[in-house]
Amino acid sequence: MSQDQTTYRPEGLTANRTLLTISIILSIVMMAPVAWLVGLSIKDNKELMLGTESVFAFPYTLVNYLNILYSSQAFGWFFNSLVVAVGQTIGVLVLSSLAGYAFARLEFPFRRTIFVIVLFGLAVPEQAVIIARHQMFNWFGLHNSYLGLILPDLSSAFGVFLMTQFFRAIPREIDEAALLDNASPLRIFWKVLLPLTLPAQATLGIFTFLHAWNDYWWPLISATKKEMFTLTIGIASSQTNFAQSEGLGFLSAQAVFASLPVLIVYVIFQRHIVTAVSGGAVK
Amino acid sequence: MSASIEITNVTKRYGALTVLDDVSLSIEAGEFVVFLGPSGCGKSTLLRMIAGLEDVTAGTIAVGGERVDTLPPGKRGVAMVFQSYALYPHMTVAQNMSFGLENIGMAKAEIGRRVEQAAATLEIAHLLDRKPAKLSGGQRQRVAIGRAIVKEPKAFLFDEPLSNLDAALRGRTRLELAQLHARLGSTMIFVTHDQVEAMTLADRIVIMHDRKIEQIGTPMEIYQRPASRFVAGFVGSPAMNFVPVKGVNENGGTLRIETCGLGDVAAAIRLPARFSPEGGCLGIRAEDVTVLPAGEAGIPLKADVVERLGDRTLIYGQLADGTKLAAETDGRSEARSGDTLQIALDTSALHLFDAAGIAHHAGGD
Ligand SMILES: Nc1ncnc2c1ncn2[C@@H]1O[C@H](COP(=O)(O)OP(=O)(O)OP(=O)(O)O)[C@@H](O)[C@H]1O
Ligand SMILES: [Mg+2]
Repeated sequence: MSQDQTTYRPEGLTANRTLLTISIILSIVMMAPVAWLVGLSIKDNKELMLGTESVFAFPYTLVNYLNILYSSQAFGWFFNSLVVAVGQTIGVLVLSSLAGYAFARLEFPFRRTIFVIVLFGLAVPEQAVIIARHQMFNWFGLHNSYLGLILPDLSSAFGVFLMTQFFRAIPREIDEAALLDNASPLRIFWKVLLPLTLPAQATLGIFTFLHAWNDYWWPLISATKKEMFTLTIGIASSQTNFAQSEGLGFLSAQAVFASLPVLIVYVIFQRHIVTAVSGGAVK
Repeated sequence: MSASIEITNVTKRYGALTVLDDVSLSIEAGEFVVFLGPSGCGKSTLLRMIAGLEDVTAGTIAVGGERVDTLPPGKRGVAMVFQSYALYPHMTVAQNMSFGLENIGMAKAEIGRRVEQAAATLEIAHLLDRKPAKLSGGQRQRVAIGRAIVKEPKAFLFDEPLSNLDAALRGRTRLELAQLHARLGSTMIFVTHDQVEAMTLADRIVIMHDRKIEQIGTPMEIYQRPASRFVAGFVGSPAMNFVPVKGVNENGGTLRIETCGLGDVAAAIRLPARFSPEGGCLGIRAEDVTVLPAGEAGIPLKADVVERLGDRTLIYGQLADGTKLAAETDGRSEARSGDTLQIALDTSALHLFDAAGIAHHAGGD
């Protein structure tokens, strides 16, 4: 009698267990390659040449990671990736915010038409313009430079679209109250509206950073000198042969090393992604 | 600190759509004026033009004798409270209130003094460090008023500030607004479509309708001597009864009005020489219609619906010819729907409207 369950429970225990099981299985499927990679990275290269089964057996070693420290190149590539990703993130945030504000709030000729043209940008794949872009960057002598790696993705159609929608969602009365409060247009943008778009900035910032960090194709085409490689290109270039029978441990260590910033960025900003996706908490 | 407001021949058009047509209005310093009218009649538009949030198509607006329609909103010396409050979500209450003062470069100490004083007046001192999201509707509304008070403006502009509050809070805030006006003595313009707010708060009510100002007057003038059929029908609950008129005969000071449902009615209404009864109607409020005690003969009214409000009873019925008429009687009335009652009219409270809706009142114009 005392143990009788009278409270209504929306999900039964069985349902919970099933969900848990599915989640665990999916997590294992997702994590297995990562675990494999980490395993390879802490094995001696020579041992791995005999067969990768040795991942499951002692001895383990950190020598591959130490080698990254000694090989100046991996660090150089890491630095290049950082410059490109941070530069691109800042640039996209600044440009998208300004453009979004303009499309949402300012009156200027052909506003709608220009906005539609920007939206077309969402539909144009990089592959379609890559040759023309390569040519253009050639004329301007921008290949093998940070500017050359950063510039192409600064005009983010997605960013402009996202920020425009976000600015539009802010009630105009907020602007009007600020106008009556004697704030100049610049001050209204900077002190009143921009702070309200922080969730959108966080989302856009993370997406841009991750995209820039993982980008492969344009750096592959534009950065032809080894010292201008980004990490993605650098790691690919250190694959020695198709079967990758030698230096596998070192290569894996580099891959782990390359994923660290992404992991850190995600852990820090994950909270903001969730708030941003769950809607504009403006009102 | 308070200032007069002069609106002269103001017109507002959006493209081909005329929203306000040649409107003139003069508001004295310290007056509490309410703009009342049906939805879409241009109340907000007129208020926003005074604030500078809409430009005027033609005409001028002056505050305190100084022409302001050419000035940006912040330079007009007016403060506005929005229906949605429009607080800055990322700023605390204190920051919300001081933002406008910081923008004009006021000294920190003076800002602090004003914010503190306003917060004390509005009893929101304990909320100063909170963000708007953590406030109730009533508290947000006080902050919005506080943001206006600290500016010590020449005039306050309110656009339906109470419409987002529940009934009890609305009543209380209404009272507090009246007290605030008494204390500050500032000019206030208040937009609403709630009659009770208008009647209780206003020194003068401006009734707006169809792109124009229909009547300007004290609440009692508006209620007792409506200038037009529109005003008569818009103000008061239940709405004034209108009975079609067939003809009028003037006979030495008193007027015999022939109506369809009420028969011939005598009234002391003085009409202009060229009055035409065609398309006109007779107006009388429910409270000026008396239900006679049983046995007395009057005008028959067949009751359709009987509403008991406790202190009084409203009877909605039909006259002999089917014209609808509402009558008010005391709370103890035993009338039931289906009964035929005998009624009499208070002829000193009659209004006669011509076809164009112009009113003529019993007891002179
Ligand atoms: N930006 C605009 N463009 C075109 N028409 C407008 C614009 N703003 C308002 N109007 C029109 O002007 C008229 C008056 O609007 P306004 O907001 O002043 O009405 P209101 O009296 O305040 O009504 P409510 O009681 O519903 O708030 C309306 O018919 C509205 O459709
Ligand atoms: Mg309005």
